[in-house]
Order: sequence, then C-alpha cells, then structure tokens
Amino acid sequence: MTRLRKKSHVDRDCYSLALERLAYVFDRYDYVTVAFSGGKDSTVCLNLCLQMATERGRLPLDVYTFDEEAIPPETVEYMARVGARPDINLRWFCLPIQHRNACSSASPYWYPWEPEDRAKWVRELPAEAITELAGFVPHQSIAAQMAAVCPASRGTVANVMGIRTQESLSRFGAIASKEGFTAFINPAAVKHGKNIYPIYDWNTEDVWLAPFKFGWDYNEAYDVMEAAGVTRHEQRCAPPFGEQPIRRLYTYKTCWPELWAKMTDRVPGAATAARYANTELYGFGVETEDLPAGMTWRDWTLAALHELQPANRKEAAGAIRVAISIHRSIVGRAEPIPDAEPHPVSGFCWKQLYLPAKIGGNKFGRIQQKITNKAIQERKRRGLPRRRITTD
Amino acid sequence: MDFPDAASQPISRVEWIDAARLTANDYNPNRQPPPEHRLLKISLLEDGWTQPIVVFDDGTGALVIVDGEHRWRVVRTEPDVAKRTGGCVPIVRIVKDRAHLMMATIRHNRARGEHTVRHMAAIVRELLVSGQSPEDVGFLLQMEREEVDRLADRAGLPTRVSRVHDDFAKGWVPK
Repeated sequence: MTRLRKKSHVDRDCYSLALERLAYVFDRYDYVTVAFSGGKDSTVCLNLCLQMATERGRLPLDVYTFDEEAIPPETVEYMARVGARPDINLRWFCLPIQHRNACSSASPYWYPWEPEDRAKWVRELPAEAITELAGFVPHQSIAAQMAAVCPASRGTVANVMGIRTQESLSRFGAIASKEGFTAFINPAAVKHGKNIYPIYDWNTEDVWLAPFKFGWDYNEAYDVMEAAGVTRHEQRCAPPFGEQPIRRLYTYKTCWPELWAKMTDRVPGAATAARYANTELYGFGVETEDLPAGMTWRDWTLAALHELQPANRKEAAGAIRVAISIHRSIVGRAEPIPDAEPHPVSGFCWKQLYLPAKIGGNKFGRIQQKITNKAIQERKRRGLPRRRITTD
Repeated sequence: MDFPDAASQPISRVEWIDAARLTANDYNPNRQPPPEHRLLKISLLEDGWTQPIVVFDDGTGALVIVDGEHRWRVVRTEPDVAKRTGGCVPIVRIVKDRAHLMMATIRHNRARGEHTVRHMAAIVRELLVSGQSPEDVGFLLQMEREEVDRLADRAGLPTRVSRVHDDFAKGWVPK
C-alpha cells in the first residue's frame, strides 16, 4: 500500500503556484495540450495555459475535448466560443468513448455519438465536430485514446487536466502518494507524456474567483445549476450517469427539460435513476440498511466485496484501501477504523466503506468531505443526518 | 356542448358533497411535505376550487379518493378553507377495479412536467419588478427566502462567489 503524505501548506496563493507549475511544464515539454471539458476546472487550466503560452510565444494553444453528447446547451455554446478564439486550436472530438452507465444493470456502459444510435442522439453534431481520428479505439476510455490524441511524433507531451484533490479520495490519493513540488506531474497513458494537474490544491471558491478577477469567459450552465439550488461542490457539467453523479440526475429535469427528455430515450435506465437514484433501489439506503445479526460493518463490507464480480471487486477494494491509507495518515496505525460511528478525527467508519463494496464502484465522493474534523463537528452541531434519504 | 360524448366525460358530472363522506385510499404512494400542504391551502384560498376530487364509487360504501387526497385533507383540517364551501368538496366519480384505480392515482400524480429553472427565475424576477415584495413572493409561492434569492439573482457564479471569497487560498504540497 502506498503511503499517503499530508498536506503541507505553503505561504503562496494557489493561483501563483499553479502558474509556477505550468512554467515548469512549458520549460520542459515539447508540446502542451489542455484536456478541456467546458467545466469550471478545465476553464481555469485553459486560461492559465493561455497566459503561459502567450508569454512564451507558443500560441495558438492546443486544446482538445471529447464531447459527451448529453451536455447542456450552455456548455455547447461555451465550447463554440472557445473554439472560435484565434489563440486556441480546439480539437472537438465527437467519438464513441466508453462511459459508465450506473443507471442500468443491463447496460453498464453507454457511448456518446455512437454511429449506430444516430437516430437517438440528443443533439446534432456540432459544425466543428471531428468524427475521425487516426488510431481511435472505439468503445474504450479516453485514456485509451491518448496515443491518438498526443502522437509521439510531437515529442514529449504535457496533458493539462483540471483535476482537484477536493473532488474525491482517489484524486487526493493520486497527489498525496507523491512528495513535494512536482507532485502535480502524473503518469499518463502514453510513455512520452505526463498528466499535469496544476490546480490540484484549488478549492471550488478559488476556481470561481479566477474568472471573476480576470474577466474570463465561462460556462453559464453553472449559473443554471446555481439557480436550481445545486450545491457548489456538486455542480458538474459532465452527463451524470456514473455512480456518484446519478444522485443529482434529477436536477437535469429542472435545469434542462428539453435535453432531459432526450436523455431518457438515449441512456437506458436514466428515467428510473432520476426518480430513484437517492433511494435503496440504487444502493443509497446504507444508512437504513440492517446489519445482519452478529456481524460488524467490517465483516459485512468484506462479505459484500466477496460477492462482487472480479473487475468491480478490484475497483471497490482499491477505493477502500485508499480510505484506509488516508485514515492511517491522519491518526496513525494504532487506532483502527471504527465500525459504525465515524472516527472523531479521520471521519471514517466501516459503515461508510460498505457503500463501494455494495455498489461495486470506486466512488466515495462525499466521504472526502468527512475527512476534515471541522465538517464532522459542524454536522454534529447542527444535528443533521449524514445523508438525506428521500422517499418519493 | 358541441361534441357528442360530453356526457361520458367524468368532468361533466361534478357534484358538491360533504367532505366527511370521502375516505382516503389505502395505497396512495404520494406524501405531501408541509410546505406543499401550506401551498395547497393558499391555492384553495386564493384561487378557489378549480378541479374536482376524483373518487371511486361502486355504490356499496364510502367514496374512496383516487386523486385529490391532499386537497381533501386541507378541507378536513383547515376550518377557514372548509368554511368557504360549507365543508363540501367537488367530486367526480369513476368506477374501476382496484388495479386500475391504483394506476389512475399514479397517472394523476405523475403525468405532469417540470418547472424549468430559467423560466421560474424569469417569473420570480417579473413578480419582483411588478412590485411584489420578496416576502410576499416567498409566502404566496411557499418558497424559502433562499429560493427566492437564488432565482432572482442575475449575477453569474464568479460574481456570487467573489462576494464571500475575495482572495485565493494558500496552496499546498504533499509532504
């Protein structure tokens, strides 16, 4: 098990640190490209890279996006504005990438822009769409496409991504398993390249402060989510069909009803998940689930892991291992993870770790919030239930 | 009526009857939270009765509610609403077997659209511009102040966030 290191705050703001990381990257890599989703985090990466590329006379900046088809109209409009900029060379891929579909047990994956599904596509192909890519591997993940997106002929590649550790445990683990300044440089799917996380230590508020301070353009889909009352931490642009995001699938109904109507025909199980994703039908009712007599949550978690298919078991067990490492990095090995009540300092208990074992995924999402003592105390102080269970 | 089957439509036979003669069904999956209950009361007082309660009546016993249980409960629990109609409610009768009654209930509840955020925001802004106070909008639509404010605020997210967070946080490295 990799040892996870602790956050060591430095006396520099995250903005200037991000620029320093990018300066390091621009100095050392032949080719810098931005993985751009149209979301808030990649918006920051895009603009910081633009600033760096302008200073160094390396315009136009190379940017690519894998369009996920079921995306809000504001994202499409923003993408088009970005693509129209003379200082940006945007490659707008509309290709059948494999995406997880947690809505349906019968169809565990879905493929945007799948040519066979053309009649069901939720929108028209954008005018800028690239639908052919030499070396594209259909129905595989984005990682599998990196050799095609960043060919070795261009030299060493820096693939800049808006990954932030605040977002999930596994993302924290990716950074905290390394040490020091260069922790933002991560292995990539191609040997001649690295994945660069220049804003790994930014908080959501920093991500929004940047466009305010510098007057950057941004994706107005977030304003719609904000008006709908979606919490800042949960405002995401990608189609919400994975394990964690389906809990906010219902927000698509109010934010983008026309898009939503098409999504229910496009992705099997979407309508059912929107209605029931926050209930036990989709593994959300752990809080109310009865523990079999004579078992601990730890026993029950290990038993659930055992029941999973090998691939899912590997994912879930990996996630649980990361949680254990984090617990140990906070409180040491002497204190084991408590069974049902969150540890007062680390915030972990086996009852929480049971969820990934039950659904066979690697998503902890909200538990990341729980690793801070403050959040736990705040919740206790307010007497809030840990998770809201809705009954429709 | 200028179409031949008007008489066969339940709505053509609305009657006012004593709410005490109705009874809830035993399967209704719909639970109404307090804010929506209050909104329903306000609706009945402000707009009056605009739709009948749908009841099952096979002529042998109580009138069992298929749709409209919550409006009926408002009449039974809120004297100022009951007073308006002398304790009566408008009903239409339908006759089906239990399976089809349950399905009729679900259809009455679920066959409806969603209010889009953008259009709701436009309405709330128009209400405020027309002179309604945020307090009145909040009361008459039973919205929390948070909801009224979010819908009314035209500022984009960067501006909203900058009101409470005006400097970048310190960065960190793993050690």
